Amino acid sequence: MVPTDHDDHSGPADRADAVVPTESVRLSSLSLPARLVVALSIGGLAVFAAWHALAAFLFVAPSNTIMKDHGPAIRGYIYPEFEQNWKLFAPNPLQRNVAVEVRAEITDPADGSTEITEWLDLTAIDIANIRHHPLPSHTAQNELRRAWDFYVSSHDEDGAPRGLRGELSEQYVTRIALLRLGEDLGYDLDTVNRIQLRSATTRVPAPSWSEENIDTTTGYDELEWRTVDAADLPGGRNNR
Amino acid sequence: MTTTTPHDVPSPFAGLGKKFDAALGRGIGHITRRALGPHQTAIVRIGFAATWLVFLLREWPHRAELYGPDSPWSWEMAQRLLADNGAFTVLMWSDSTLWFELVYHVAILASVGLLLGWRTRLTSVLFMLGVLSLQNRSIFMGDGGDNVIHLMAMYLVLTRCAQVWSLDARRRARPGRTDRADIVIWSLTGAALLAALISGNLTSPVWSLFLAGLWLVYAGWWVLERYAPAGEPRTVADILGNLIHNATLLVIMFQVCLIYATAGWYKIQGSRWQDGTAVYYPMQLDYFTPWPALTDALSNSGLVVMALSYGTVFVQVAFLFALLNRRAKNVLLVLMIGEHIGIAVLMGLPFFSLAMIAMDAVFLPTAFLLWLGSRTVRVRDRLLRRRPPAPADAPPAPAPAAVPIPPQSERTAPAWADRP
Repeated sequence: MVPTDHDDHSGPADRADAVVPTESVRLSSLSLPARLVVALSIGGLAVFAAWHALAAFLFVAPSNTIMKDHGPAIRGYIYPEFEQNWKLFAPNPLQRNVAVEVRAEITDPADGSTEITEWLDLTAIDIANIRHHPLPSHTAQNELRRAWDFYVSSHDEDGAPRGLRGELSEQYVTRIALLRLGEDLGYDLDTVNRIQLRSATTRVPAPSWSEENIDTTTGYDELEWRTVDAADLPGGRNNR
Repeated sequence: MTTTTPHDVPSPFAGLGKKFDAALGRGIGHITRRALGPHQTAIVRIGFAATWLVFLLREWPHRAELYGPDSPWSWEMAQRLLADNGAFTVLMWSDSTLWFELVYHVAILASVGLLLGWRTRLTSVLFMLGVLSLQNRSIFMGDGGDNVIHLMAMYLVLTRCAQVWSLDARRRARPGRTDRADIVIWSLTGAALLAALISGNLTSPVWSLFLAGLWLVYAGWWVLERYAPAGEPRTVADILGNLIHNATLLVIMFQVCLIYATAGWYKIQGSRWQDGTAVYYPMQLDYFTPWPALTDALSNSGLVVMALSYGTVFVQVAFLFALLNRRAKNVLLVLMIGEHIGIAVLMGLPFFSLAMIAMDAVFLPTAFLLWLGSRTVRVRDRLLRRRPPAPADAPPAPAPAAVPIPPQSERTAPAWADRP
């Protein structure tokens, strides 16, 4: 069954005529160039698939000898599109609840006096949107939570930003806080001069059957006050 | 005690060379002649398209906050980060709201198209572009589920994932019809690609080459199909398509193993997974407890928590090795899918879980998928009140008779799927 009956139709070939299904083709009946193409493709694909698998494996594996020497090549291949992280709740699951809170300095438009609000729990808004919802939105489950993780991971111990990511993360948490202040808490953002954020971290208590003693008092970590930039208000693109 | 002299024992290596050659020949025959796992790749396609589609529809009211130019992760901020990491997204081509809306809704349509297997070579590429564009635009909005969808969207482009259960398959089954939509599709996409390149928006060399390469490959295929469907080049092109599909299928399977192996092996190192309390902690996290009464009830029992913790580690670590045995693999698949359904409900991570289940589906046995397919057809026919044709003189059957198996399922089931 050699697919050699080339037809000389100049127009579209009749679909019904002898199309040899590839399933019944004998490789040995193909011409030499065709076999070469197939052989080279098998080799090339095998090498590429092996490289992809190896790179992905080394990327997710713990720091090791090969990555010390060839890390840049492997990371260069994996980033940005093949990036992956499968340490799902590992080595240990998160054992504390982190809430992000905000307070704002507000100008009274009537007399120009300023006052500072109570600490307002932004995470509580997320939780309210997650509770008893079968399909929680990424805006409730990931947005603020991951923004805060991003902030913490891109700042050093003393709270100084690390490069571009540190700077972006500050702007990001500020913008989320402003959005929540305006949309969910009903503040008139035009009266907000500056805001301050803090995290409230509470460890999960030890399980009831455990004898472990875990201190569950809430620890707070305050950020600097940040003056509101009109461009960071919701829809503030045009305020630049 | 009897002693055997060495020359009495046949060498275990005798004839190994010949056996190896024969096996290699058979193996090459398998991977060149057929795109393996037609049902498995189809269910993966349907699974991921459905997950992303439901996600996009669910987030439709929040789309601007997640990915729009006015998102808290603003267009300018995204641009600064993307200039640094080089990820691909068409949403950086313009900061207009109109462009964002267009991209979001094309992503929805592409998911519908891929789900139905309509022009899969086109819709799989659009699906990938949609996933990458939205996710890379706002990288901090996603979670593990988005990460899986991101990888699979790319892999699916290189698989023949619409051999069954698709509109493409239905069209192919109708012989003798010339198809004029193809030329329109490839002209339009060619023009769009050219415009993206000329306008200077598509600047990444890798993506330019990949997309232009794909377009040329599909154009070449179209020419072969139209003008030389019986020629050798068409056969060779088909073989190459099979090879790419099979290599990608292998990569997908490897990816699944990598995910579970990593997740399991890192857990082994954790003290909470070792002392059997790990599962208790996520059940106490505000962000992952949509049903606190339910999770509290579960996490109150030390025994349940320990069983779930140890079970999770066991299943994840064992998965890779269970593939060596068909029954063990199927048992672990059931456990794995069950666990993900649990996570979907208890932890409020339905899209993550759906993505993981869609990914697991690549290892489902063909017999099960065929059964699932015929059940689905039956339910669909019942819903659409289609009755299978009955003889005119026979009394109408009280219940619909067995639905004939659709033509595509007559293909021989690929042996690899059911074998260790």
